Amino acid sequence: MSRNVDQGQGMYDGIALMTSKARWVVSVGGTVLCTAVLMVAGTVSAASTQQSGLVDVGLVVFDPGIPADQSTHSQRGIFPEIRTAEAKYMPVVLRQVLIESGDWGVVRVLPEVLDSSELLVTGTILQSDGLRLQLRINARDASGVEWLNRVYSGSTRSTDYPVSVPGDPYLGLYQQIADDLVAVRRQKNAKQLTTIQDIALMRYAIQLAPTVFGSYLTQTPEGRYVLVRFPAEGDPMLARVIRIRNQEYLFIDTVDEQYEHLSEEMAPTYNLWRQYGAEQAIYQGEYQERVASRGAQGRRGSFTALEQSYNTYKWSKIHEQDLDELALGFNNEVAPTVMDVSGAVVELSGTLDSQYSEWRDILQRIFTLETGLPPAS
Amino acid sequence: MNRSPAQLSAAVTVFVVYLLLAGCASAPVEKPRLQRENLQAVNFSGSWEMDYSLSDSTQEKLDVMARDLNRQAQRRAQSEGRRRPVGAEMMVRNSAGPNSGSSVLGLARMADLITQSPLLDIHQDTHKISVKREEDFSLTCEFYPGEMHKVETPFGTEICGWNGHQLVFELRLPEGLSIQHIITMGAAGQKLLIATTVVSSQVSFPFSLNRVYNRFEPGESGFQCQETLTRGRVCTTESR
Repeated sequence: MSRNVDQGQGMYDGIALMTSKARWVVSVGGTVLCTAVLMVAGTVSAASTQQSGLVDVGLVVFDPGIPADQSTHSQRGIFPEIRTAEAKYMPVVLRQVLIESGDWGVVRVLPEVLDSSELLVTGTILQSDGLRLQLRINARDASGVEWLNRVYSGSTRSTDYPVSVPGDPYLGLYQQIADDLVAVRRQKNAKQLTTIQDIALMRYAIQLAPTVFGSYLTQTPEGRYVLVRFPAEGDPMLARVIRIRNQEYLFIDTVDEQYEHLSEEMAPTYNLWRQYGAEQAIYQGEYQERVASRGAQGRRGSFTALEQSYNTYKWSKIHEQDLDELALGFNNEVAPTVMDVSGAVVELSGTLDSQYSEWRDILQRIFTLETGLPPAS
Repeated sequence: MNRSPAQLSAAVTVFVVYLLLAGCASAPVEKPRLQRENLQAVNFSGSWEMDYSLSDSTQEKLDVMARDLNRQAQRRAQSEGRRRPVGAEMMVRNSAGPNSGSSVLGLARMADLITQSPLLDIHQDTHKISVKREEDFSLTCEFYPGEMHKVETPFGTEICGWNGHQLVFELRLPEGLSIQHIITMGAAGQKLLIATTVVSSQVSFPFSLNRVYNRFEPGESGFQCQETLTRGRVCTTESR
């Protein structure tokens, strides 16, 4: 088996990726196939780490875990806008932990599931507030083998606040996820890891050209992918696939930077939100205890007794409603940044998710035109 | 409109004397029937300020009730062959029990206390309303089809929903205290009526106060403010 990682001069040298806002046009065979405008900020790293033997990780933006039934949100203490922001924030924290461990290849935050990721990590936020974080994390490699599927819980102590940046009160939870992933990886030998990488590449190739690469993989009834064979070294078709994949990685890396930017921008506000949330929850608990332990003032039915009853409720409501005000403050501050990331930073149309789909579609069409192969269905 | 506890107490004393002997204090609270479909019927959004001239005075309300109860007591006394319905010793005896003077006074003062907010700021959308009351907690309600909004906490229970074009908030608290606010919009959309009824387990009749609010437009300040978490209230000179 051979592996080609062609990052050199490709046939799409005309696709200029610039470090500032850039506009590029792809024209194939005299016919304008598509025009896309791509703004790339900062340095991008599309390099596959196949040669280094390190497995690349794709972290999909988390499922915010917002129940479809809106009527349950307030009862469950869910602020949908904050959850949506958290779903983008948390994978960036996990990404940082994985990168710092040095155990992995390129770790990317993906706007949507990329099936051909060497290791794909998905997460759902089950609970998130200043006192407790609960995430369901699933990790599956390209061959379809599940590495992780468990719920991680973390809680904070008063000493975790205020949060010193960079840092996170739930760092231990993210560290646990990273440790569990590494533990699974260590059970695999170099050949197994290489096979995962090859299968990832073949799954990507099959998406582009199923007629050419379809026979390289088989799928077991359990959904596992088995590598049957691998293209020969120097196979021009595979080289094209790799170039296209690298172009996709370039896009993802750009998106990834936007998530990182969001995370940096959001961190001070988000940390404050969690701190206030924790303080509120602690105060509410203590308030309940205080109320339970104190005796009734005044005779039953007297103004003093009625006023005590009303004021107890009133203050519990005021504290509860303070959290709503804080959530509003959070939204006012963070929403513009979330919108930047989700919106028009990259000048393709639609949301970031649809931009990504659009981008993948463009790459697919480029590949089809170049090879003359029938497009993948 | 707001009287001192001493003033209220004097009025209540007169009122209670009649009341206790009349034994008539059993006027039931008419409970509005909340609609199961629970869909927004009226939009109350806006800024509202109390119209004191149209709102009930707690003192006058007590006086009216006293007169009514006096008449009832008179009728009852006549039917029982007694000449006078009043017996001051009755009130003394009942000073700490059900329907006692202090219980009635407490109820009236509570009604006065919880209806004092001079300004309301109401935000409402398809599924939620928040009635911000100055110097009190906000009344909030969510409306989703087929569900009555009910919140239970260790300190009390809230139920709210629509009764036709009226929005009803009911609060049940410890100490046998329950409070009901019924919000109704005036025909032209420029007036708001909040009818508040307070019930205590120690008084066998409810005490109701109506507060009328006029719609007003907050003055054009030339700047716009919004709450933020890290910087508090941030105002800009940008026009809306």
